[in-house]
Amino acid sequence: MRRFLERWTPPPMLGMFALFLGLPVVLPLLGYTYLGTEIMIWAIFALGYNLLLGYTGLPAFGHGAFFGVGGYLLGMSQKWWTGGLALPLLIGVVGTMLCAAVVGLFVVRKRGIYFALLTIAFGVMFWFMVFVLDTWTGGEDGLTGINRLSVLGFALRDNIPFYYFVYAFFVVSTIALWRIVSSPFGQVIRAIKQSETRARALGYDTPRYKWVVFTLTGAFAGLAGGLASLARFGAFAEPMSLHQSGNVVLMCLIGGGFASFYGPVLGVAVFLVLREVFSTLTDHWMLLYGLLFMGVILFMPEGILGLIQRVRRPTTFHDTRAAQAASGEGIPAAPPAPEQSGPR
Amino acid sequence: MPGLAELVTQLLNGVVLGLLYALIALGFMLILGTMELINFSHGVLFALGGYLALSLQPYVGWWGALALAPLGVGVLGLLLEFGVRRTYGKDPLFGLLFTFGAALALEEVIRIIWGPRGYTISAPAFVAGRFELGFLVYSKYRILVATLAILLLAFVWGFLEKTPYGAIIKAGAHDSEMVRALGINLGRMRNLVFALGTAMAGVAGVIAAPMWSLKPTVGAEAVMPAFIVVVIGGIGSFWGAVIGGLLLGTVSGLSNLVVPRGSILVMYLLMTVILLWRPRGLMGQKSALEL
Repeated sequence: MRRFLERWTPPPMLGMFALFLGLPVVLPLLGYTYLGTEIMIWAIFALGYNLLLGYTGLPAFGHGAFFGVGGYLLGMSQKWWTGGLALPLLIGVVGTMLCAAVVGLFVVRKRGIYFALLTIAFGVMFWFMVFVLDTWTGGEDGLTGINRLSVLGFALRDNIPFYYFVYAFFVVSTIALWRIVSSPFGQVIRAIKQSETRARALGYDTPRYKWVVFTLTGAFAGLAGGLASLARFGAFAEPMSLHQSGNVVLMCLIGGGFASFYGPVLGVAVFLVLREVFSTLTDHWMLLYGLLFMGVILFMPEGILGLIQRVRRPTTFHDTRAAQAASGEGIPAAPPAPEQSGPR
Repeated sequence: MPGLAELVTQLLNGVVLGLLYALIALGFMLILGTMELINFSHGVLFALGGYLALSLQPYVGWWGALALAPLGVGVLGLLLEFGVRRTYGKDPLFGLLFTFGAALALEEVIRIIWGPRGYTISAPAFVAGRFELGFLVYSKYRILVATLAILLLAFVWGFLEKTPYGAIIKAGAHDSEMVRALGINLGRMRNLVFALGTAMAGVAGVIAAPMWSLKPTVGAEAVMPAFIVVVIGGIGSFWGAVIGGLLLGTVSGLSNLVVPRGSILVMYLLMTVILLWRPRGLMGQKSALEL
């Protein structure tokens, strides 16, 4: 039993689940139940995305598009096709996964900035599509009128039952992702991050691994996007825009997605709470936001958890950066977590 | 069926647009090729060029603004590079995110200074109105835009191909260690390239403003085609950017006749087809950025 728990839900994860389980006791007092839900939704997205960024080391920059696609697919199928809740959610997840699979075919043979550039271009394509197909998507106004309906007799219209609805997905996704990164597959993608050339030399078909990771992140983005559209009773285009597609990357980075499996969750919480704080302080919160990001990149690129790790365990000589420099890799894509290859 | 005059007009529009795209893309690619950095703030610097010209114009006239606004943007780029340089040699993501933050902040600065509303900019007086060439009527300003774009492209080509600085830049992009070993101050060169690339964004912003009108988000709309141009043309190729820009411009101009609202998607279709045919873009060389 104990080993089972260790493998499926290690203590930090149990702690996180317990925290989110109890959060609705505190949040309504502050008037922020919705914020808790939002944090879990984005955490699903960011945890999934970190499979690509933190574990495989691929700087994809257009994932906001998949978040949006999930929401629109759910909305469209609920309104005009299948109706209900479970089936649209499934369509949102599978449909987004397919979109990511197709985009993945084009991008997996690239790396570094070329990879980033292509993912940006394709991401923006989906954003444009929303406006071109506005008879189905609602264009600027968004696709409104999405219904949360009810599950097992609980009407999800109320925020507390909906919180636990999202919580269930959050728990399942987190455990699923933990199993993925702990699997042999997870080992291979970490190896790709360290040195794709070497991973290939060991006989791994690295483009195929990258493609699978890309597709998987699409599925989690679709799930999160679907849940977000339920949360907001509508699907909207703005998370897909060029300016917001970077949000999930920053969330992963701020929390320390390179250093820890849980980094993205912390990052999401910090990001969304700061947004609340900034937007109550000033109308020009985007300025503060932009400056904050620049500061994080300059002074704390390893994120909060990475910083804690570095303070607790100073860099050893045999870090991966040195190993990479010695191997004469074309691009110095040094992982900022110095003492290990990927997040634990 | 569209008439011949309309067809020619759209074709000309496409060429003008294409030259402008090439100009934006080239500034972007100069930085991309030399520093392996995706400069996310390129679009907002483009917008800033337009806004600066808007404010300078009453004092120094159109030509004065055309010279001073890009200079201002270039100086800003110079300052930005002092932050960016801390990300060299790290994961390419950091440079991207740093300039992403800069783009957010600068867009908000534009909102603070010039307000969230849009401005329609009228073309300078000496090129107001239209040419009449028999069956064809064409805006004089667009012809000026095309001329200026060609001149600037020629200037950049000359700079890259015919001066020692251009040789250093290209060599530095190819093998920075070797260039350093030859005793060349690579840091200063990168600083210069960054300023030059951002100044080109500023110049494009000034001359595009009367065509596109100014609003705080105009930058994002301007860089997207530039991204596509770079992907189509291939990273690091001057002629790739020019051909890619012209191709994209004409295709989107012509598709305006057939599917007016879908011309952006047609651009993507073009990009996808080219990527399927030549995964590195039209003129792209094999580089360290792929498998």
